[in-house]
Amino acid sequence: MPESLQPAEAVNPLEVRDLAVCYRGARGEWVPAVAEIGFAIGAGEALGLLGESGCGKTTTALAIPGLLPANGRVVRGSVRLAGRELVGLAERELEGVRGAGIGFVAQEPALALNPVMRVGEQVAEVLRVHRRLSWRRCREAAARALAEMQFADPGRIFASYPHQLSGGERQRVTIARALICQPPVVIADEPTASLDAAVAVEVLALLRDLKERHRLALLLISHDPRVLAALADRVVVMRGGRIVEQGPREEVFRRPAHSYTESLLRCLGQREERDLRDSRDSREKQDTAETGASSSLVSLQSLRSLSEPLLEARGLRKTYTLRRPFGARQAVAALAGVDLAVDAGSRLALAGRSGSGKSTLVRCLALLEASDGGEIRLGGQDLASLPRRRRAAFRPRLQLVFQDPAAALNPRFSALDTVEEPMRLQGVKDRRERALELMAQVGLPAALASRPVPRLSGGQKRRLLLARALATRPAVLLLDEPFTGLDLPLQAQIADLLLALQESYGFALVLVAHDLDLAGALAGEVAVLDGGRIVERAATADLLRRPRHPASRELVAAARILGAAE
Amino acid sequence: MRYAAARLGYGFLLLAGVSILSFLLADLSPGDAAAEMRLNPRISPGAVAALRVRYGLDRPLPVRYVRWLRSVASGELGWSVAYGAPVGPLLWRRAGNTLVLAVTAMALAWLVAVPAGVWAAARQGSWVDRLGLAASAVLLAVSELVLALLGLAVAARTGLLPAGGMASLDYDALGGWERARDLAAHLALPAVVLALSAFPVVLRHVRAAVAEALESPFVQAARGHGIPRRRLLWRHALPAAAKPLVSLLGLSIAGLLSGSVLVEVVLSWPGLGPLLLQAILARDLHVVVGAILLSSVFLVLGNLVADLLLYWVDPRVRGA
Repeated sequence: MPESLQPAEAVNPLEVRDLAVCYRGARGEWVPAVAEIGFAIGAGEALGLLGESGCGKTTTALAIPGLLPANGRVVRGSVRLAGRELVGLAERELEGVRGAGIGFVAQEPALALNPVMRVGEQVAEVLRVHRRLSWRRCREAAARALAEMQFADPGRIFASYPHQLSGGERQRVTIARALICQPPVVIADEPTASLDAAVAVEVLALLRDLKERHRLALLLISHDPRVLAALADRVVVMRGGRIVEQGPREEVFRRPAHSYTESLLRCLGQREERDLRDSRDSREKQDTAETGASSSLVSLQSLRSLSEPLLEARGLRKTYTLRRPFGARQAVAALAGVDLAVDAGSRLALAGRSGSGKSTLVRCLALLEASDGGEIRLGGQDLASLPRRRRAAFRPRLQLVFQDPAAALNPRFSALDTVEEPMRLQGVKDRRERALELMAQVGLPAALASRPVPRLSGGQKRRLLLARALATRPAVLLLDEPFTGLDLPLQAQIADLLLALQESYGFALVLVAHDLDLAGALAGEVAVLDGGRIVERAATADLLRRPRHPASRELVAAARILGAAE
Repeated sequence: MRYAAARLGYGFLLLAGVSILSFLLADLSPGDAAAEMRLNPRISPGAVAALRVRYGLDRPLPVRYVRWLRSVASGELGWSVAYGAPVGPLLWRRAGNTLVLAVTAMALAWLVAVPAGVWAAARQGSWVDRLGLAASAVLLAVSELVLALLGLAVAARTGLLPAGGMASLDYDALGGWERARDLAAHLALPAVVLALSAFPVVLRHVRAAVAEALESPFVQAARGHGIPRRRLLWRHALPAAAKPLVSLLGLSIAGLLSGSVLVEVVLSWPGLGPLLLQAILARDLHVVVGAILLSSVFLVLGNLVADLLLYWVDPRVRGA
């Protein structure tokens, strides 16, 4: 609408018009990243920006307060903060706008805080650089701001360093830091992406509360429609650097006008369906087993129950000793007696809050870490009591797929080398053909074989990790958070791939997840960890319906709140 | 505190090892202090033999080592054949001189290199940064020897600075203030030469560490909160980058006594360097071992200081 017709009081806190951003490419050419971006956010309104990774949401978020990296440039359009044009402002003027006019909640709470500075100071300093106040007044204000973030003991938080806080606590500190100057506009870029579901729900509730209380104009960016559904009043859907749909939340989610929005939402729907189908399957299996029907599935099932479990942990313990300089030692029990049985060819999800011991458990089961007590039995043989060298010989049978593919792959290897390496160690013949075959099975075309690992995309790296793990034909495949950090379509692809691979290889699948979401649905059965013990084990559907242990209830509640909006 | 005690214990073990090794190695090389004297035609073979007996050079190695240990316990640190005096006092005075020089040079290098490195990191790719990098590369490539000779030539030509030594001839006659000025004038040249050779290393480390810290998400996040550039650099990036720098500082401290040998010899600074050189040439074993041991003490000290600093700088090291 024409600017002149707007009455003065109706000026929106944030207005973006026809924004276009380019990045300078390797050869100095300008590559457009986003174009024709336009939206406005009113006071007390939350706008959700939805789209897959790479669609330009973060570029848009960074361009608004002038935070684009050195090779990025706003080539057209305008960004107005309460009517004031920001595009073209000098860096010094933008420094005054950031923090004071626009609060920015960064993506990774773990990384957004200075590790060598007390968090209270970090909140206070933002106020200090924007307002002419004494340090003492700033610290007092920071303490009040932290108190508003629903901490049980804000005093402790104030004096802590980031590494002493949990992910959720850090994210709340980041929010306090973004809000300390009471900016009218707040941008939150994937504020919950790296938090476990229960914490994510708390953070979202906090953001909603703050938005209402301070009448913030909130720009919320996420790849996850459920996050936006929990908070956004209106939703903008982006794809390929452009806005494809914009409207009130209900309308966009109930009756998506654009086919892309529909497909994004369908990914969620499929997940629900899979969940239902699986629980129906398991019920049918039970029924048929009782009536003694002789389908191959059933006979396999009954065979399994007669024989010993393939992989079994009995009273597994692991204690870490934190050695601090100057002598003090502290024992931390990561596993406090875990009993777990995994049948051949079965699927199980290990769920629990961060810090519950899931990662330690899979690392012990994969024989990458020695347990301190208890047994790990593979096919009836106790591996934990074996001497180191003989135990190592079983590692090919128990393969762990690491959480962060970028860190778990050698950047100097090509894709093919990566898959070949385990077979080379085992002296397998024809490993080149075999490696190519494995790559094809995980959906990596042969054309990628000679490509260096760093030049693969995130999804391709995940697939490569899978291929490498399968190269030794493991009996058990352990996956640590296989879906974290992937957007929905990719999550669905990887889940389908896992099922297909299990069908052809017959390995037992153990998935670690910090929420019940996709992993629970995929596995059909969940073991919940809490405080280094397995506190409950049940079919996913049953657990969702009747969680018994408090830790399970927490997980289920988180899944419900996130799921309710769908 | 227990940690510090353990570190000290390790330090002593290291020193014992170093002393045994230097004794062994010195024994492997042919000849001893007396052998050097035999070359002198004015000293009779009988006198040399008598000297050998007097200093116990004819005894087997373990006996000589134990005798030396006893003398270390008494603070004498053995006996210098060449100087005819206990090694201890000799070493202390020379080591003091070396420390005056080396600490000055180190302070100079760090005080200039840290701000310069931060500055360069903030302006990566600019012409100032490139010029600084090129200059530091040249400094790295040029050896201390060339720098020292260059400084010597300049001092000799211009006469602005005394070209060597630590004090003027009339030093003893000077008053307190003039003494300090005299020392500073003599110190300037070797200190600058030594600082110049340390400067590029520190500069490059600071630049790299700060540049990396500037890329880190928390600095970007701080930028997003409107923290001005200066504060980003000095209050966020530099402290977060301190870890490798602290290790480098520890190494610098470890090298305080041993790093300046060349410069001292060329610019005739009466420090450990010239003493060590003479002692090696004269097979004055106890002096050599004493000097090596003293350097090892600084190695232990440097590591300890670095650890303590790290503890102070990085809260993550302190534990939860």
